[in-house]
Amino acid sequence: MADLLGQLESLAMGAREASASAADERALEELRVRFLGKKGELSAVLRGMGALPAGERPRVGEVANRVRDQVEALLAARKASLAGAALEAELSGPALDVTLPGRHLAPRGGRHPVTQVREAIVGVFQRLGYEVTDGPEIELDWYNFEALNIPADHPARDMQDTFYVDEATLGPGEQKGDVVLRTHTSPVQIRAMLRAGKPPIRVICPGRVYRSDYDMTHSPMFHQVEGLCVDEGITFADLKGTLAAFARAFFGPGTRTRFRPSYFPFVEPGAEVDVSCTICGGTGKKDGKRCGTCKETGWLEVLGAGMVHPRLLANVGYDPARHTGFAFGMGVERMAMLRFGIDDLRLFFENDLRFLEQF
Amino acid sequence: MRISLQWLSEYVDLPAPEELARRLTAVGLEVEAVERTGQGLDGVVAARILSSVKHPDAEKLSVTSVDRGDGRPLQVVCGARNYQVGDLVPLATVGTTLPGGTRISKAKLRGVESFGMLCSARELGLSEDASGLLILPPDAVPGTPIATALKLDDVLFEVNVTPNRPDALSHLGIAREVAAATGTPLKRPAAAPREGGPPAAEAVKVRIEAPEKCARYAARVVEGVTIGPSPLWLQRRLERCGIRAISNVVDVTNLVLLELGHPLHAFDLDKVAGAEIVVRAARPGERMTTLDGKERVLDPDDLVIADRDRSSALAGVMGGGDSEISAGTRRVLVESAWFQPATVRRTAKRHGLHTEASHRFERGADPGMVTAALDRCAALIAELAGGTVRPGVVDAQARPAPRTTVRLRWKRPGQLLGLEVAAGDIRRILGGLGFTERDSDGEGATWEVPSWRVDVTIEEDLVEELTRTLGYQVIPETLPRLALDTPAIAPRLEAQARTRVALEGHGFREVVSYAFVPPQDLEAFEPGVKPVALKNPISAELAVMRTSVVPSLLRTAAFNRRQGRDTSRLYELASAFWPRAGADRDPPAVERPVVAAVLTGRRSPLSWATTGEPSDFHDLKGAVESVLAALGVEAVFEQAGRAVAWLHPRAAALVRSSDGARLGALGEIHPRVALAFDLPRGVLACELDAAALLAASRLVPGYRPIPRLPAVLRDLAVVVDEPVAAAAVTALVREEPLVEEVTLFDVYRGAPLAGGRKSLALAIRYRASDRTLTDAEADAAHARIVERLTRAVGAQLRA
Repeated sequence: MADLLGQLESLAMGAREASASAADERALEELRVRFLGKKGELSAVLRGMGALPAGERPRVGEVANRVRDQVEALLAARKASLAGAALEAELSGPALDVTLPGRHLAPRGGRHPVTQVREAIVGVFQRLGYEVTDGPEIELDWYNFEALNIPADHPARDMQDTFYVDEATLGPGEQKGDVVLRTHTSPVQIRAMLRAGKPPIRVICPGRVYRSDYDMTHSPMFHQVEGLCVDEGITFADLKGTLAAFARAFFGPGTRTRFRPSYFPFVEPGAEVDVSCTICGGTGKKDGKRCGTCKETGWLEVLGAGMVHPRLLANVGYDPARHTGFAFGMGVERMAMLRFGIDDLRLFFENDLRFLEQF
Repeated sequence: MRISLQWLSEYVDLPAPEELARRLTAVGLEVEAVERTGQGLDGVVAARILSSVKHPDAEKLSVTSVDRGDGRPLQVVCGARNYQVGDLVPLATVGTTLPGGTRISKAKLRGVESFGMLCSARELGLSEDASGLLILPPDAVPGTPIATALKLDDVLFEVNVTPNRPDALSHLGIAREVAAATGTPLKRPAAAPREGGPPAAEAVKVRIEAPEKCARYAARVVEGVTIGPSPLWLQRRLERCGIRAISNVVDVTNLVLLELGHPLHAFDLDKVAGAEIVVRAARPGERMTTLDGKERVLDPDDLVIADRDRSSALAGVMGGGDSEISAGTRRVLVESAWFQPATVRRTAKRHGLHTEASHRFERGADPGMVTAALDRCAALIAELAGGTVRPGVVDAQARPAPRTTVRLRWKRPGQLLGLEVAAGDIRRILGGLGFTERDSDGEGATWEVPSWRVDVTIEEDLVEELTRTLGYQVIPETLPRLALDTPAIAPRLEAQARTRVALEGHGFREVVSYAFVPPQDLEAFEPGVKPVALKNPISAELAVMRTSVVPSLLRTAAFNRRQGRDTSRLYELASAFWPRAGADRDPPAVERPVVAAVLTGRRSPLSWATTGEPSDFHDLKGAVESVLAALGVEAVFEQAGRAVAWLHPRAAALVRSSDGARLGALGEIHPRVALAFDLPRGVLACELDAAALLAASRLVPGYRPIPRLPAVLRDLAVVVDEPVAAAAVTALVREEPLVEEVTLFDVYRGAPLAGGRKSLALAIRYRASDRTLTDAEADAAHARIVERLTRAVGAQLRA
């Protein structure tokens, strides 16, 4: 028996030495076959058990099992250690050049800054419950002027340089007065009220408008956003609250608004609306110097607004004695120029990619 | 409107200029600019000439001794001769720089020292008069800065007067607003002239033949005038307000215009044929030369002021040359009238004239000012040009100004503003603005509108008077009660948003371009196209409304190429415009919203990680497919051939919805178009009809269960003739019911295939929905497909 136990002892020792020097997984597998395989060393020892007296066999069997466990553990440990070393070797190899630029199959697309700002403006009013609507850009004089309380031969027409459409190019059909490129989004007020048929109505109308004017601050085409709210009991206070909420949402929480009396034929009373300067915060001074954006006044004129003129309500068949409403309008490019610090309106329509890609 | 504060202060006490500007802006008369005059004359003072002797060495020079208020006489050499010893004149002291840039230093003129320079009006930049020294008023004090002595230190406001407020187009009008805003009394200028001689009515007759265009015409006659330059103060007033001084009589009419806001006209009465003024419509073909020297052909809609023989002024717009005041004028007829605003406006527009007079008449002059302005003008002419005002006003249709009344319910301000205004405040405010309470009861009051407030006609106008006086800051901020449902996002907006995201994901960048384009762009694009044109375009380049957005994108691509950007991916969502389709006149034209895109240059940005291949048709098609997928549109692409004028017939596709509706076109632009737009070959473009896309869209996708049973995958490579369309092959494959999906993953041409043949490699996924497909079933299906392809398109299985 002692002989067998000695063999097991030396087998274990041999396995310890051999596994420690095994260089790779294949060597380990060979060791497993050599020591533990059917024709391996352990099996050879166990075959010798048959010659032992029955009383001694359990003892030898027990040692043989322990040696088997030991050898298996040795091989597993060595395997884990080899894998760890291999992984470490892989991890320690030369790193790739992460400074090489990423792969772009297509250039980066994007939205025009005017669209971005228009969406931001409209978004605020959508959150306030306004419905987005639109109307034609080639418009009848009636919608663009007459219905808005701007009669023919009225000086208010001079407030907007109008493009007229050559009616001969409009196709067959009798004319219904002059045809113009809409000079503002206000005709959509009329169309929206006619479409709705009766109050309540709350719409926001973004769109392209056209005026015959071209320089650094005027473009023959630009964008406006028009808002209209008509119902029973709508007041100027509601207009003030709405535009104050808009200004805070669009320009930032601390933004203040100021209403000044002004004249737009389609509202009465009418106002121009200023917001506290987005650059200097309304102080008129930036870094101790004169603020160029608000010209030191602390205020920026951004909106026109007022209570819908009763004549408009009558023009679309609403009852001015029962319903009141407010309307407001703003230039999208003006808002975009303020938001991005752009000083030349023409850049928006030149569409130089070096400009557009900045947004 | 330019307002001189020096002048304004004659009618009302003024706060400091900054405060005044704030107050005016607050009541709706926005002060847009403030200018200070009398600057740049530091160092020029009033000086008295104590003595003057001839220069010993120069014929034309004098040596003067002047007192500049410090008791130490100063020697100054002078070239003028228009002064006398004892006169006060401007002295530019040593060290002064005059407005013209001349720097005064101590000098020796022909051996005589001179310590300064005595100045003419021109040298001080005050007027063009360089005939001699500017002689100052005798009450000037030596040593006083010249700006003070001449009252040059004025502040000028540029007031933006909105078209509804003609009453504020004068100094008196602004003064009225200041008085109301500050609660100070208004001082009106004296008016009544001293009269003498026989009645004016014996000198001239006035007849109105067009009473609907001229409500009133009043005239005065001043005889024995001497035409000459106006006094300096008057010239300065006009010039500060932007009107050129001409002669005393004309200047007085302009002065009264700026003072009272009422346009006047002066005629040389001796040139009025028949001593008769007729206010009438112009005769067809009638001609007149206006004061600007232009001969004009008149329209029967024009209102003219005529004498017995011919017209001599465009009423309310501009006088005529024939009856102009000239150096020899002795007898003056002054006109003060009230013309119908629309008439004046039409005439002014028709003749391209915009004058101080037409500006006021077309907005509505104050009918209550007709005789007051006339009296003021006649008195001033007599005062400044000599002469006698003949008694009486020759007044056709003399009548008091019509009185407008407007009722204001006490409750109305609260209903409209959300702020109650007490009756006492209403009375105080409207009263201060010149409104007169006619009668009142528990419900409201009726107010008589002052004659100058032609803009006030309805109750809301009175509410505006209250708000602009109170200031909008007193109105609270509230939000409207929500009486409406929260609106859903309209499908067209949802579709638009998804379209943008899809295109931007493919690298397209949005541009915004003008809706009007050069006609030749459209002609090159689609020969024979008839776009909607503008009557008054800014330029020929912006003359017609685009019938497609693609030309704008091509222009933009070409522009960016010139900036060195060969590669671009551009898109725009905008309307294309067409003449109206039927008889419908509202809206007046067809506006078709489109999705347009253009692709030029490389497929991928220049990079180490991508190849530099140029974009091709299928790059654009991929983007279009993404748009269609984003909108849930089932579409087919078919060869367009020559159906789309702007596309290369060999690389052009039409997109149709599954029910055949045309959604748009895409492809390589036609070589003719490339040439016209200065672009290389190979530029790709598409235009999709947004409304058609929306009609074919399925924005809310339907759900299909994920298959639970396994699929069988088989690849297939077939060789077909070149003209066989890939879609035809895949459609044949899909005819097999067990095919779930077919993907074309390779197209090969070349050896060992024969010329004109191509190999298509397809990955086919078979699946049955009710059972696990066996290999045998899949093999059978595969075989059926091969047979079908062979039969239908002559396909050969590729070895």
